Amino acid sequence: MPREPAQITTNVAAALEGVSFTYAGSDRPALSQVRFELRPGEMVGIMGASGAGKSTLAKCLNRIVPRFEDGSFGGVVRIGGRALDGERVCDVASMVGMVFQDFEAQLFSTNVAHEVAFAMEQIGMPREEIAARIGPALEAVGLAGFDDRDPTSLSGGEKQRLAIASVLALRPGVVVLDEPTSDLDPEGKAEVFALIRQMRAQGLSLIVIEHEAEELRNCDRIVLLREGEIIADGRPAEVMIQRKLLEECGVHPPDINRVMNLLGIDRHAGSVDEAEAIIRARFPHLPAAQEGTEAIADPASLPRATIEHQPPLLRVDHLSFAYPFGPRVLDDVCLGIAAGEFIAIIGQNGSGKTTLAKHLVGLLAADDGKIIIGGRDRSTLHPAETAQEVGYVFQNPDHQIFAATVADEVAFGPRNFGLDDAEIARRSEEVLSAVNLTAERDRDPFLLSKGERQRLAVASVLALRPRLLILDEPTTGLDYREQRRMMGLISELNRSGIAIVMITHTPWLIAEYARRVVLMRKGSVMFDGGVREFFAHDEALANSSFRPPEATILGRRFGRSALRPEELATWIKDSA
Amino acid sequence: MPIYLYLDRGSIVHRLNPTVKVFALFIMFWSVYWVDHPLALLPLGLLLVAMAQLTHSWPNFYRLRWLFILLIFFTTLAWMVFYRKGPPLINTRIIHLSRASLIFGFGRGLKLAELLATSVLFLSTTKVEEFTAGLQRLGVPYRVGFAITLSFRLVPLFIDSALTVVQAQSLRGYEFNRGGPLERVKRYVPVVIPVFMGALRKANNMAMALEARGFGVSATPTSYIDYPIRTRDRIAFAALTGLAIVYFLIYYTGYGDISVK
Repeated sequence: MPREPAQITTNVAAALEGVSFTYAGSDRPALSQVRFELRPGEMVGIMGASGAGKSTLAKCLNRIVPRFEDGSFGGVVRIGGRALDGERVCDVASMVGMVFQDFEAQLFSTNVAHEVAFAMEQIGMPREEIAARIGPALEAVGLAGFDDRDPTSLSGGEKQRLAIASVLALRPGVVVLDEPTSDLDPEGKAEVFALIRQMRAQGLSLIVIEHEAEELRNCDRIVLLREGEIIADGRPAEVMIQRKLLEECGVHPPDINRVMNLLGIDRHAGSVDEAEAIIRARFPHLPAAQEGTEAIADPASLPRATIEHQPPLLRVDHLSFAYPFGPRVLDDVCLGIAAGEFIAIIGQNGSGKTTLAKHLVGLLAADDGKIIIGGRDRSTLHPAETAQEVGYVFQNPDHQIFAATVADEVAFGPRNFGLDDAEIARRSEEVLSAVNLTAERDRDPFLLSKGERQRLAVASVLALRPRLLILDEPTTGLDYREQRRMMGLISELNRSGIAIVMITHTPWLIAEYARRVVLMRKGSVMFDGGVREFFAHDEALANSSFRPPEATILGRRFGRSALRPEELATWIKDSA
Repeated sequence: MPIYLYLDRGSIVHRLNPTVKVFALFIMFWSVYWVDHPLALLPLGLLLVAMAQLTHSWPNFYRLRWLFILLIFFTTLAWMVFYRKGPPLINTRIIHLSRASLIFGFGRGLKLAELLATSVLFLSTTKVEEFTAGLQRLGVPYRVGFAITLSFRLVPLFIDSALTVVQAQSLRGYEFNRGGPLERVKRYVPVVIPVFMGALRKANNMAMALEARGFGVSATPTSYIDYPIRTRDRIAFAALTGLAIVYFLIYYTGYGDISVK
């Protein structure tokens, strides 16, 4: 029987009234007495650390909690004034549209039009109505004309927009997006956020869960969660200036607010333009933007002179590669990596970053060119033979974790190389302490948090004592606090002499931690140079499709190249 | 490597009603089942070759060529061990090579190859959604049909994740191929566990996403695509029914047997 989407006639689109939920087997509530209202046409951003209850809150709105999750539930959830009591998740589907982080797991069909039709078929909508809605839904997300494409052939951003289209086709009263861009590259992120802005302009009631505050600073309200409780709920201007509180909640405060905060200006800026105007009003003598920005001297971020003179640890010589019957994935790549370097490899998904990394460790063999590692030709060596020289941490830690305890997981590598028990024990202690997991040594790795599992994966590769460590997007899916901890660990390893090659999409990580940037595009190296140079290089930036961190953009407005908010604030104060 | 076999070629077979295609799959299996003699299987083989040409499915057969060759070769060989009838040309304790065992073994090999070829043709010309619709029309519950569709999507995901896990573990110095057969199976534990855990997570995410899209509201969802029954479907249906009867008669009259004197 066809259902009409929920018409929201009350002045509340969605409400949680004293909602509590405790997962089975957990001793503390994931949500505790939460009261929350979403008014029609409003966009609310929900922020907080991993485990603060953001996803649980979102899942209460369409009954995934408690229908899919075991635990004890209390309170009332209302959608458009109607209390959801005893409803199944599918019964709520046409009232609350939900988009998940894992876009692979929410596409079920072999062509785009079928995918959009799927939800409408499920609720028993007549064929003519379905056919009439597919076109507009695809157009709304910018996928018009994609009808016959295979969803698996789409980019990440396109897949996520397709998932949104299939939700929008039901015309739900409320749309909930649970970290919709966590797994996307900068281009995909930008596409999805542009779409969210457009949905908001059309008056949809939206709830968006997100780690990065920058993307949410123009929404109507921000709700901050900590340990299952709402600790702030207000306009972005009220919440975003509480830097300490945001950081405590595992949220990355906007860079421009941080700069102003350091300058003693307790105001919220909705954009870089606004921040520039506020700062100029306070510091009227600051110079204007100019051609060729001047670097703020910062010895710590300059490449160490010693590196230049060292022979490379690894050399890539005119490397080219294509998968059988596929296009070229790597095209004449040349690269030298010296001991102690910290390199960020960036570029869009599909630009060849991971393929290059897999060549470095010997998981793929080049069609042309070669890799020299410690004076030997990589192609003559088995991947395991160089595992003690080059370590590789895969993007998803769950692709390698299998042991019953944390200590066993770490000991796995050294054991494979036949080290004796005393040595294995020594190394395990050493690396567990490096990644701050000593206290967890006897725990089951599958019960650790995502951040802890990621650190465990690093530890288990470190146990082989490589001189070069390659990390594929080591901060994906981590909250700000966990990202900081992860990067602190990686810098510490780098200081101890291990060369780091990190594939990443996060501009501020590159600005604050890396010293050299390698930009890949369509299998070629488009830029290879210092971080500061990169962020001042307009052409390279245009090619990379990602924006510099806002502190850098703001700095350039004053004719300065800055990588960190602190650096920029200090310079502004000094020059005043 | 693409795991789907579907080839978007738009031939007349592609355009047949999915129910007819599922019926054709069944009838081909039926016909192959009743006869043993290679000569009786030959017309079916020729029919399949003609269909492969008509539907332009050769790339898929080319991809699986080794499977076909090995299937026929090893089945023929295996039946020389078990089928010990007829005057022997060579007779040892293991191998019994006779005209009869050769014909029987080759017939079995051909049979398997024809079953495989039928499946390849079916998957080359039928989208998974059509498969579900066809099954539904034949009385299979929607949920069962959908589960089959979904498994087509999951298999490539799992293969992909298994390959990544193998790479991750081998970079930690792990050797998979060491020791005897049992030891080798055991050595796959560091792969099986992460793949299994990942599959559970993925399945859970999918289940949530499915229900959030309304899966389960109705036991008989509507279908966006209409599959009307046209003249060509009726003709195909009649021809397939005829084929089924002919092959049953070949069996019934004993012409499809292998007679051993």
